[in-house]
Amino acid sequence: MHPLLSQPTRLALYFGVWLLFGTLLAGVLAISHQTPIAWALEFAVPQTVLLGVLSLSTWYLVRALPASETPMSRLLGTWFGAAVVLLAIWLSIALLWGRWLAQGSALPALQDTPQRLAPLLVFVGAIGLLLAVLGHYMLAAFDRSRRAETRSLELQVHAREAELKSLRSQLDPHFLFNSLNSVAALIGSDASAARRMCLLLAAFCRKSISLGRETSIRFSQELELTETFLAIEAVRFGERLNPRFDIAEETRNLSVPPLVLQPLVENAIHHGIAHLLSGGEVFIGARQREHLLELIVENPFDPEAPKSRGAGVGINNVRARIDTLYGHRASIEVDGRNERFRVTLLMPATPMPTAAGPAPTP
Amino acid sequence: MRILIVDDETLARAYLVEQLATVAGVEIVGQAANGFEAVKLVDELSPELVLLDIQMPKLSGFEVLELLGERAPAVIFVTAYDEFALRAFEVHAVDYLLKPVEPPRLKAALERAEARLRNNVASPAATLQTTQALLAAARPQGAKLDRILIREESKVLVLPVERLDYIEAQDDYLWFNADGKRHRKQQTMSDLEAQLDPARFVRIHRSYLLNIDRLSRLELYSKDSWLAILTSGAHLPVSRAGHARLKELIS
Repeated sequence: MHPLLSQPTRLALYFGVWLLFGTLLAGVLAISHQTPIAWALEFAVPQTVLLGVLSLSTWYLVRALPASETPMSRLLGTWFGAAVVLLAIWLSIALLWGRWLAQGSALPALQDTPQRLAPLLVFVGAIGLLLAVLGHYMLAAFDRSRRAETRSLELQVHAREAELKSLRSQLDPHFLFNSLNSVAALIGSDASAARRMCLLLAAFCRKSISLGRETSIRFSQELELTETFLAIEAVRFGERLNPRFDIAEETRNLSVPPLVLQPLVENAIHHGIAHLLSGGEVFIGARQREHLLELIVENPFDPEAPKSRGAGVGINNVRARIDTLYGHRASIEVDGRNERFRVTLLMPATPMPTAAGPAPTP
Repeated sequence: MRILIVDDETLARAYLVEQLATVAGVEIVGQAANGFEAVKLVDELSPELVLLDIQMPKLSGFEVLELLGERAPAVIFVTAYDEFALRAFEVHAVDYLLKPVEPPRLKAALERAEARLRNNVASPAATLQTTQALLAAARPQGAKLDRILIREESKVLVLPVERLDYIEAQDDYLWFNADGKRHRKQQTMSDLEAQLDPARFVRIHRSYLLNIDRLSRLELYSKDSWLAILTSGAHLPVSRAGHARLKELIS
């Protein structure tokens, strides 16, 4: 596809330049050959526009002869031949046009002007053609680099998506083995509690796998997943873990990316509650603030606890994902003052799209 | 064999109690729910073996071992998952069990511990060097020591390194100076120096390690020796090599 013909703005700009070139040529004619300016304009402007039209055809040669890959002799030879042909065509038309204009003119002095102009026209035409060819080469280079850029951006997005997918489906091995340890312990003392724990674990794994496959889920589903997770951890931590929910009703039907809340709660437990001798409260809040959904997870923590491996991984994963999905429209803030750790996540409050597709048949 | 169980999770302790009940010749002398309790109970009950969880509030299992020092009984570490610690265990031939603990593995580990006790062979985990290696393995890659643990009688003191003014070596001990008090701990200066952040702690003298934040000014004392005046007003000797290290850090 021709890079100028396919884009009206580029094409308009291109002919704008030729019009300007024509006006300049008319000025030169008026000054050097003392032709009336009106005649000069009438003669020169259409001819430069014509040269512009002819020059458009150079694109096909530009494409056939990439500057970096064609031997210089062939490049120069071909272009010289093409230029001679184009200029010959243009010059003959220009001379015919000039003669025709002169015939209608009242000034007899103009009768032989077109022939006298020939050398100047060849010179000006050659320069115009040269500039047009260079311009086409630049356009070709520009388009190529932009295509390369687009492709590399696309590749980056794909790589990012793959990475996010793997982040989402990660099940913390620490959580898994500790939970299994709790099951092993409960079997000896409280078989029905052990069974409950197995069912909770199965539900959690199933939900995190199926939700992790989606690109967006209902916030109530994310809440359910978080509640299941908390129920499992409550078996391990007993009275040390004390969850409190404050969920605004209107947020439940909003659409969110999967696994945005549960990793934050996991973080609150593993890097907060787990380091406190008597545990504490994990607060989970959700509300809508104008067009934003605000999620808050808050927990007490021990500022003197040694930095544990993997601290912040959960939050960073969530941050990376909402960054990719929403860019500047979402934010995640972390505040750790006064022995309380608070994560505030803001993202666009998107209503859940109503299920499209065929209506269920009765 | 007299055993102490240390784990912060009630269920995890209950499971070990249940499993140990099936092993002959084993007596559970106590259970601790955190590191502080563990240190205290080891003193009070002098168990022969400790089943020690690694991740616990306040003090990790490694820190408990460090605090016990030479008094440490034989130790078997118990952990759900900790790939870095596991590598360190393998390297130093330290016994460990993975949660949920498999009964045959528990029995085998108990037998090894008992054999060591009978032959009076020290448990590999109990050597100071191994303890330090385990502590280093437990820290995130490249992270430096961020707190010092010191036992004073029955109390455990946790000193964040930023509170330290300077450390003085004396014989086999180090004196940690912080908040106008000094605390003694058995450790070598080079061992401590290697674990601290070199951008903050400078060895200004064979016997002195200085927290650079506390330096007020330097005074020439004699040819080739200086005095460091701290913000607290304390004067510390600075050797020629120490002076060079200080200058390098400040510039």
